[in-house]
Amino acid sequence: MNGKSVKRVVIAGGGTAGWVAAAALIKQLGPLIEITLVESDEIGTVGVGESTIPTARTFHNILGIYEQDFVKATTATFKVGIEFENWRKPGDRYFHAFGSVGKSVWMADFQHFWLEAVRQGFGGDYVDYSLEAQAAKANRFATHEGAPIAYAYHLDATAYAKFLRRLAEPAGVKRIEGKIQTVVQNPESGFVEALELESGARIEGDLFLDCTGFRALLAEQTLKTGFEDWSQWLLNDAAFAVQTESQGPLVPYTRAIAHDAGWRWRIPLQRRMGNGFVFSTDYLSPDEAKSRFIDALESKPLFDPRLLRFKAGMRKKSWNKNVIAIGLASGFVEPLESTSIHAIMIAVTRLIQNFPFDGIADAVVERFNALSRREAEHIRDFIILHYKLTERDDSSYWRRCRDMEIPASLAERIALFREAGLASQANDELFRSDSWIMVMLGQGIFPRSYHHAARMMEPEQLQQALTDLKARIAHELGQLPDHGAFVASYAPAED
Amino acid sequence: MTEQKIKRVVVAGGGTAGWVAATALVRHLGPLLDITLVESEDIGTVGVGESTVPTMISFHRFMGIDEQDFMRASQATFKLGIEFKNWARDGDRYIHAFGKIGKRPTWMADFHHFWLEARERGFGGSLNDYCAELIAGEANKFFTGEQKPLNYAYHLDAYRYVRFLRSLAEPAGVKRIEGKIQSVEQDPESGHVKALVLETGARVEGDLFLDCTGFRALLIEGTLKTGFDDWGRWITTNSAVAVQTTSPHPPIPYTSAIAHKAGWQWRIPLQKRVGAGLVFCNEFMSDDEARAKLLADVAGEPVVEPWLLRFKTGARKKAWNKNVVSLGLAGGFIEPLESTSIHLMQVAVTRLIQDFPFNGCDDALINHFNAKSRKEFEGIRDFIILHYHQTERNDSPFWDRARTMDIPDSLKERMALFRENALTYHTLDDLFEIDSWVQVLRGQRMEPRGYHMLARMMPDAELRKALDDMRANVAGVVSKLPSHPDFLQRYCPADDI
Repeated sequence: MNGKSVKRVVIAGGGTAGWVAAAALIKQLGPLIEITLVESDEIGTVGVGESTIPTARTFHNILGIYEQDFVKATTATFKVGIEFENWRKPGDRYFHAFGSVGKSVWMADFQHFWLEAVRQGFGGDYVDYSLEAQAAKANRFATHEGAPIAYAYHLDATAYAKFLRRLAEPAGVKRIEGKIQTVVQNPESGFVEALELESGARIEGDLFLDCTGFRALLAEQTLKTGFEDWSQWLLNDAAFAVQTESQGPLVPYTRAIAHDAGWRWRIPLQRRMGNGFVFSTDYLSPDEAKSRFIDALESKPLFDPRLLRFKAGMRKKSWNKNVIAIGLASGFVEPLESTSIHAIMIAVTRLIQNFPFDGIADAVVERFNALSRREAEHIRDFIILHYKLTERDDSSYWRRCRDMEIPASLAERIALFREAGLASQANDELFRSDSWIMVMLGQGIFPRSYHHAARMMEPEQLQQALTDLKARIAHELGQLPDHGAFVASYAPAED
Repeated sequence: MTEQKIKRVVVAGGGTAGWVAATALVRHLGPLLDITLVESEDIGTVGVGESTVPTMISFHRFMGIDEQDFMRASQATFKLGIEFKNWARDGDRYIHAFGKIGKRPTWMADFHHFWLEARERGFGGSLNDYCAELIAGEANKFFTGEQKPLNYAYHLDAYRYVRFLRSLAEPAGVKRIEGKIQSVEQDPESGHVKALVLETGARVEGDLFLDCTGFRALLIEGTLKTGFDDWGRWITTNSAVAVQTTSPHPPIPYTSAIAHKAGWQWRIPLQKRVGAGLVFCNEFMSDDEARAKLLADVAGEPVVEPWLLRFKTGARKKAWNKNVVSLGLAGGFIEPLESTSIHLMQVAVTRLIQDFPFNGCDDALINHFNAKSRKEFEGIRDFIILHYHQTERNDSPFWDRARTMDIPDSLKERMALFRENALTYHTLDDLFEIDSWVQVLRGQRMEPRGYHMLARMMPDAELRKALDDMRANVAGVVSKLPSHPDFLQRYCPADDI
């Protein structure tokens, strides 16, 4: 235990990670701590259009953020899932919807009933039983207090950081403009004592949050924490990003379209479209990637595409001494399942729950790191799943994905679904069994066996139960307006 | 895939594990399975008075068991927690009650942090006053019905419970065969069990076998040599003497666990008698000494001769191996200090039903099942070790060893988290929730050095009022409850047989 009590929190770096942390800490622990955020307007953020998952809503509730304000300010749209195109094979598509599918009983989850119905010839598609998937198909959406639909947002990350700053500064977060020149460590303990800026200013603190993005200025450059490389499973190491003019109807989902050396995204915002092209430089040169990206854009780019380089993996310790890495500084898994903002929020929440008021205890740090690792590995496995389970044989990139060794944790999950139709779930896992099932079915795994609970039902009884589920979804769908129309009436972007 | 490969389930051994499994399987998967249970009246069950945890209520609900029927038939009483005497120091007493302590005013920090802040400021009273189950237990009061104001479990007569389950399972289609198992027939290639051969010469074939043969572990160990992870270095008690006595006074709604210099004693109040036993480590206490101490300490008159049990704490390396699933004592043993044995059986049977291998015993399924079982066992193991290790007792070599022994890392981490910051946690696979850890850690005299400062932001008046309201609420709930013995008499008086 480092006996020094913690009162002064210094956040190094603005961007989404820095401002999410600042806004949450000031809201929850304001009177107990002093919060300073150092950022430089000269250092750009990675921010392009960003896609989130439903946990963002819980986090916003905790922060007391009013949804309409947030949607307006960030030119956000709603998101009920992700459409995957060309992943199993070119021309194929499937939908990963938020929310739960069908209705489960304690003995057996819904997929077992559906699988029996498929055997009997009347099951239809698994996502026929997902309200969210049907809403996406029909391009409908609305929300209100107690709405049954699960959703998240597409948002403009730069606008989001600004929005959070507008909450955090008046509440007491002190923002200092400037570039960090040196990080001062205690010569004995190695703990960070202060940041020195180019301006000569010195910012002392008890706890430092490293939100400096890929540079990981404190966690890596100063503390040499180490990085665990996951690129043997996640081959992509570069992306181009650009915004284009909006075009066509506003859809309530992200699109993830595979190409022969990676994939590209389309994230619809209220007034434009976020686009990205993710690839592996082993298989595609940046020049080639850029020209293919531009060719694939459906509407006019608003600027020249920016190139990002990255490596998949995570910091060996998210929390090391008195530095906690948050956001890209703590690790990176490509945005295929829109998990980056979630990872930031969950880390900040955990920090608040375990805040080291009386000093930094090893036991707390170890538990924080163990949980961070479990989450990161869970997300990693889920992303690898999309690459591993492919039937694509049209490029060396996909052949390598298909044939690669995968982590044992993931191999077990796939085997369990393939052999017994089970999608196991622990309570600290972000993606629930419904998500795993949609992606595994979508990527072409069909279980060889499943629970026979449904065989104890008369066929008519099973058919009726499934018909009722579909009827309820149809009814709820009937209540929903067009997504674009809803956004325009509910929270149109500010000028 | 249309054919069902596993249809014939053979349960080897009656006793609690066997009949819990048979009843649950026939009630839930009856139309899909043929279930046979083999047991011998010559082989006694371990059954003494048994104490349970609240998960039993939902297990019974799933099985469609009526609570009143069950309680009348098993002479059951209600249980609101466990009283621990002499654990941290000789003369100490605390209660680990079921249920919630206080109410967490925010998602950010658990209730006990607020109470710790209040104590620092000189108010808030005892943590006990925030738990309705604890206060009701001390007052010997109880109620349940449509409204359930309390969380609870049961004390039951294990022998009668088995008889009750059998009366449900046999009419529902479980075939019971009386007889001793002489040999176990394996497939020469796969090693899977094919049949049990009885002393009568009868041959009972099956696709899946449940080993409910108790400590003998006839199939999982005797036949399959699965191996056992011995946890005796942490939980050193290895023997028990058990007895039943008359009831010296009306039943109270909690179990007692009274530490002595080489182990502990239990008292489990049933409707018409008391189950009592003394758990000990035979390195430090002889069998005769244990028997004499038990008989000297019980309050009622013994109604049977005390009998001796030997055990080894630990878990089978694989709960499920090939086509044999071990349940109950055959799968592993952790002493009954926190009344977890019936829970472990029920949760294993529930999982077997959920993951039933209709299409054969696939490795992925077996590994998944075993990983979960192992986590459950280890979580309980750590919780039990805590009671022995977190002690100030230095009055005997037994306690000296427990106090100074090395403990599993998982428990070390938990204890350090609480010691430094009063933090604890609960994951899905853990039976014991945050309030259980807090009660036992505090009962064992661990004082946290720090805690969450959130409550610091609350002015005195606000914090005081929040806590006063909670205590008043608990007192209000308890004041309306009838006495436990009266309620039993009205709700579920024991059948006379």
